[in-house]
Amino acid sequence: MAATTASPPKGGFGYRHPRARLAALLAAPMTWLVVVYLGSLAALFLTAFWTVDGFTSAIVRTFTFDNFIEVFTTPAYLQTMLRTLGIAIAVTIVCLVLAIPVAYFMARVARPRWQPLLVAMILTPLWASYLVKVYAWRAMLTPENGVIAWFASPFGLGGPGFGEVGIIITLTYLWLPYMILPVYAGFIRLPNSMLDASADLGAKGWRTFRSVIIPMIFPSVVAGSIFTFSLSLGDYITAQIVGGKVIMLGNVVQQNYVTNLPFAAAFATIPVVIVLMYLAIVRRSGALENL
Amino acid sequence: MQKTQLLKMLAVGGAAALALAACGGGSDSGSGGAPDVPMYEGPVGDGEGQLNILAWPGYAEDGSTDPAADWITPFEEQTGCQVNVKVFGTSDEAVKLMQGGGWDVVSASGDATLRLIYGSNVQPVNTDLTPNYADIFPDLKMQSHNSVNGVAYGMPHGRGANLLVWNKDVVGETADSWSIMFEPDSPAAGGVGPYDSPIYIADAAVYLMATQPDLGIKDPYSLDQTQFDAAIALLKEQKALVSEYWSDYNKQIEAITNGTMTGATSWQVLVNYYPENIGSTKAKEGATGWSDTWMIAKDTPNINCSYKWLDWIASPAINQQATAWFGEAPSNVKACDIDPQQCTDYHAGETAYWENVYYWNTPTEVCLDGRTDVKCVPYSEWSKAWSELRS
Amino acid sequence: MSTAIRLTGLRKTFGDVVAVDSVDLEVADGEFLTLLGPSGSGKTTVLRMVAGFEQPTAGAIELAGVDVTGTPPYNRDVNTVFQDYALFPHMNVLDNVEYGLRVKKVPKAERRSRAQEALDAVRLGDYGERKPSQLSGGQRQRVALARALVNKPRVLLLDEPLGALDLKLREQMQVELKELQREVGITFVFVTHDQEEALTMSDRIAVFDAGRIAQIGTPTEIYEHPKTAFVAGFVGVSNLLEAGAAATILGREGTWSVRPEKIRVMLGEASAEGNERAAAGTIHEVVYVGMATRFFVDLDAGGTLIAVQQNSHATSADVNAMRGQRVTLLWNTENEIHVGS
Repeated sequence: MAATTASPPKGGFGYRHPRARLAALLAAPMTWLVVVYLGSLAALFLTAFWTVDGFTSAIVRTFTFDNFIEVFTTPAYLQTMLRTLGIAIAVTIVCLVLAIPVAYFMARVARPRWQPLLVAMILTPLWASYLVKVYAWRAMLTPENGVIAWFASPFGLGGPGFGEVGIIITLTYLWLPYMILPVYAGFIRLPNSMLDASADLGAKGWRTFRSVIIPMIFPSVVAGSIFTFSLSLGDYITAQIVGGKVIMLGNVVQQNYVTNLPFAAAFATIPVVIVLMYLAIVRRSGALENL
Repeated sequence: MQKTQLLKMLAVGGAAALALAACGGGSDSGSGGAPDVPMYEGPVGDGEGQLNILAWPGYAEDGSTDPAADWITPFEEQTGCQVNVKVFGTSDEAVKLMQGGGWDVVSASGDATLRLIYGSNVQPVNTDLTPNYADIFPDLKMQSHNSVNGVAYGMPHGRGANLLVWNKDVVGETADSWSIMFEPDSPAAGGVGPYDSPIYIADAAVYLMATQPDLGIKDPYSLDQTQFDAAIALLKEQKALVSEYWSDYNKQIEAITNGTMTGATSWQVLVNYYPENIGSTKAKEGATGWSDTWMIAKDTPNINCSYKWLDWIASPAINQQATAWFGEAPSNVKACDIDPQQCTDYHAGETAYWENVYYWNTPTEVCLDGRTDVKCVPYSEWSKAWSELRS
Repeated sequence: MSTAIRLTGLRKTFGDVVAVDSVDLEVADGEFLTLLGPSGSGKTTVLRMVAGFEQPTAGAIELAGVDVTGTPPYNRDVNTVFQDYALFPHMNVLDNVEYGLRVKKVPKAERRSRAQEALDAVRLGDYGERKPSQLSGGQRQRVALARALVNKPRVLLLDEPLGALDLKLREQMQVELKELQREVGITFVFVTHDQEEALTMSDRIAVFDAGRIAQIGTPTEIYEHPKTAFVAGFVGVSNLLEAGAAATILGREGTWSVRPEKIRVMLGEASAEGNERAAAGTIHEVVYVGMATRFFVDLDAGGTLIAVQQNSHATSADVNAMRGQRVTLLWNTENEIHVGS
């Protein structure tokens, strides 16, 4: 052996200090998450307990529950809250009813080589501007002259016009891809052998759908519903454009944030709380692992 | 105004007009007199080399939106003041930006001006130093929103009135009253289109001034609690007649031309391009409207450039160009020599026309109409009431 | 004995690909038949057609004398154990096993007791409340078995059910499966690509090659008398004497095979006695595998033969030292199998 034995090459600092490497990797996203993301939510919540100076609209940092009291004791606001909740639930249900057959077709009926194309087609509306889509629906829904009314008139029917139904239809259109994609992914993940096994054990199509397919894609359905539900709950532009005189929760926030930010903040915490409650419920279903 | 131009303007900032009205702001307690900010004595010398402008969209154009709309480049060439423009969307944003400092001039609407004046954010304007001030329409000078105690605080820019529009096929050939928007037996019932902003409460007040004189409303922005409640009650009744509230003027254009909105408040700039079957007028009860003013920041280091800008924007050609671009009546009498059609369309010189136009103003607890025996409802309450009404 | 399954002229194509080509097969009641072949040989497709998951392109399937060619899977008296077990993840073990009975509307009490019985039979009686995800691979495999057997099918189809298990567990399950089949007396059709598994468990083996049955017979027939070079190579080790070598050494035409364990290796020169055959060659590789050693011998007459010798006395060092040595291979002529012309 020669006297000079070369030492093996050493790894870099990060290689020798895995924790430091992890910290370096996560520093930026964690800062973003904690400071910007959660920080702004916390600020929102805090603001809800303050009040404004009537003269300048500036925030006065005096602790008060008045904003929340006003939100929950004004019948008009409660009505808007319930209406919004109802719309969000309706949108989610309609999305579900539409998404399951579409996703089933895409994942299990269509030939595999068509699948990427079908997914792209489902995604196509997402490439268009939100506003353009909502205005397009305004043209569809316009009473008397609208496309829907035009098609319905020979049958002596009118279109849904502007209002809750118009909002539900438009929001369903907007958020449907967010339901279809997770459900599609759920169907893709569903092993063929599950369906074979069910048939093998004597179950016909409907029984297999009910006892095997639905329970197995349920987490995906919940994942999709989180999107459709929370997106609907927070939307206000659709209500402005196709809602007629109907407004949603977000419109109240939008109307007030300039003149009375604390009140708007108090109002804005409601959808946050509703969504958190919903998440807490669905967490048990294991759906969050499928997002 | 040409259709393409209007569309371009929508593209620049559809928010402009929307914001003009939605501007709402915190209320002004109006306590005390005008702050003691000295007036610049002059003379206006060479420019300092730069000018920072806060403006409504469409008010300070440098040709980047449309090469034809450029009144900043020639200003820079003439004065050597390099211009930096920031566009704001609401009066509140304007006030907040002015409070933050760093801006030399601002185009303020009537509901922002007083707050800027009483907040010591702007300085009085020495109109002797701006020759074009002489040509401003007299009824725009020394108004309650642009002067305090006989001292001018700015250069009037342009004005507009909120008009009544109706669908002739539904309402009839002629109409002259807001009643088609408020009365339950209106032929426009189900197609009424009010403006979606707290400031619209003033429109109800204007109607009440005519229909319920007992309420004693003198100024639609100075409502005591009783008067205010009456206005809100009227608006609640109106809600049954409404098809849509509008705040975005694409929506109104679409709804009016499609015939789903048959009686509404509107602006001249929109009316100009409605079809034959849409009538428009300033209702006999009077109307709300806006009047904008260029103001100078209290601590501006660029005083010469600021005065040069005020004079520039008020000069006949530029005033005509800027107000035509936005779609409103110019403030300079001589602007009408350049484009008489614009002045006819927007009623620029018709003093009588503007007599019962109530320019947007910020309601404050101290009644703006001079009453001292009652407290008026401040804008923050207007805002709450509107949001509740809409819920 | 009556016939459980009869396949006639069964053919299945996927586009241009012929997966199964004119397969004729009869399976007797209570028989353990293995479909053996490499992947892509069509054995699983045959199984899936019997189960009803695939429709044959041509041919007929009879179950117990009844033509079921067009019958959907849920109306066939067969059950399947899937390669991935296909247990329903959202149901616990007992619900999984009960599923078939529940679908057939068997009263609750009866299906409980039958499911429990089936779980006891696979020694998982206490695992009814668990979810499949909480079980090991071997346990899942047994649940899948119980889930199929609880329906008392006429035929049980098993699609490489042991493929995912490790070697020890697999060997144990092979024995258990065979015992279970003997107990319940149900016809088993078992698909595998593992020749040892096939030889261990089956009453008969059908060897698949490119969509056809190359040979069908008892394990002994298949192993001792492969009819084709493919069968000889797939079942056991391919040990062929072809053309020139066959002519020189055997003095016969065609292709011949000799099983490696039938060959003795003698160092140096040796001569054949009685009905023995001798072939000289050189050891070019030695593989020590514990209980035995594999010698790769290049024959002077051409070709290579593998011979396996028990390591009764030899050590790893001993056998490794034999690399490159001259040897003579000896075997009994009755072990020469004609596998092709």
